[in-house]
Amino acid sequence: MSLTDFHRFKELARQENVVFYYTGYFSQSIVTAMGDSLRLRLSSLDASQTARRKLFSVFVEMAQNVVHYSADHLTASDDADHEIRMGSLWVGEADGHYYVVCANPISPTGASHIRAKLEPLRTMTNDEIKALYKEKLRAEGEAGSKGAGLGFLTVARDSSNPIEFDFVDEAGSNSPFTTFYLKATI
Amino acid sequence: MHNLYIAPTSSTPEVNFQFDQHQLSLRGESYPENAQAFFGPIMQAVQNYLPSLQSTEITVDIQLAYFNSSSTKVLLELFALFNDAAVAGNYVTLNWHYIEDDETILEFGQEVADDFMALDFHPCAMVG
Repeated sequence: MSLTDFHRFKELARQENVVFYYTGYFSQSIVTAMGDSLRLRLSSLDASQTARRKLFSVFVEMAQNVVHYSADHLTASDDADHEIRMGSLWVGEADGHYYVVCANPISPTGASHIRAKLEPLRTMTNDEIKALYKEKLRAEGEAGSKGAGLGFLTVARDSSNPIEFDFVDEAGSNSPFTTFYLKATI
Repeated sequence: MHNLYIAPTSSTPEVNFQFDQHQLSLRGESYPENAQAFFGPIMQAVQNYLPSLQSTEITVDIQLAYFNSSSTKVLLELFALFNDAAVAGNYVTLNWHYIEDDETILEFGQEVADDFMALDFHPCAMVG
C-alpha cells in the first residue's frame, strides 16, 4: 500500500465518522487498552454521559465476546482465562447516533446457534428485552458459556435500535469458518 | 479471619473487605475477562466470614461505575450470601452508590433490593 492509499484509508474513515477501528488479536489487556483509548476519544466528542456509558458497555460485551468465542484463536479453545482470539471492531457515528460493529470468524454450528439467539431480540421491545435479561440473570448458566450468557442481551438492552447481524463467507466456500458481524446503534 | 484487600486495576475494582470491622466495600469498575475467576476467591472469603457471625451489624458499600454482564451475575450471587446472613439474624446495610443519571446501575440496585428483602438497601446518588 502506498502512502497515498494510507491517506485514502484515513480520509474514508474521517468521512464516515469512524471514531475507532481495530483489527487483530483480542486479549483482556488489549480490550482494556482499547477501552481507555475509546473513552479518551469519547470525552472529546459531543456525546451525553448516558450514551457514553451505553457505548462503553456494548464495546466491552462485544470485545469480550471475541476474546471468548472467535474461532481464530491462539489459545486453546476450551480455555476460560488469558485467551487471545482474532476479530475486528469499529466505533463510529452516523445520523447523530454512535454505533459499534464487531466481526469475528465462527464455525457454521456457532452461526446457527447465534442466529437462534439474536433473531428474537430484533423484534422485541425494550421492556421485553429487559424482562428477558432479568430472567436470564437469575437462571442457571448456559452450557458452553464462559460468561453469564447475558452478553447479547446486554448489547440489545443498551441499543436504541434493533441489533443487526450478518454471516459472510469471506474466506471462500472451502473455508470452515464464516465471519459473524454484529452492529448495535446507541 | 484475615481482612481482604485487592488493589484496583482498569478492569477490576478495589476490594476492601475489613472483616474485623464488618465493613466491606467494592469500588471502581468490574469487567475482568473471567468474572468467576476474579470473584471466586472473594466469594470464598465471604463464605468463610459470614457463618461465624451472630447479631452483627455489617456494612457493605458498593460503588461500581461500570460492571459487565458476567460481573453482574456474580454480584447477584454475592448479595444472596449477604441476604442469607441477614435472614440468619445479622443486620446488613447495603449502600448502593451510583452516579445520579445512571439508570442502568440504579435499576440493578433496585432489583437487588426487591430480590433480597432482608438487606437494608440504601441508594446513594452521586453527582457525576
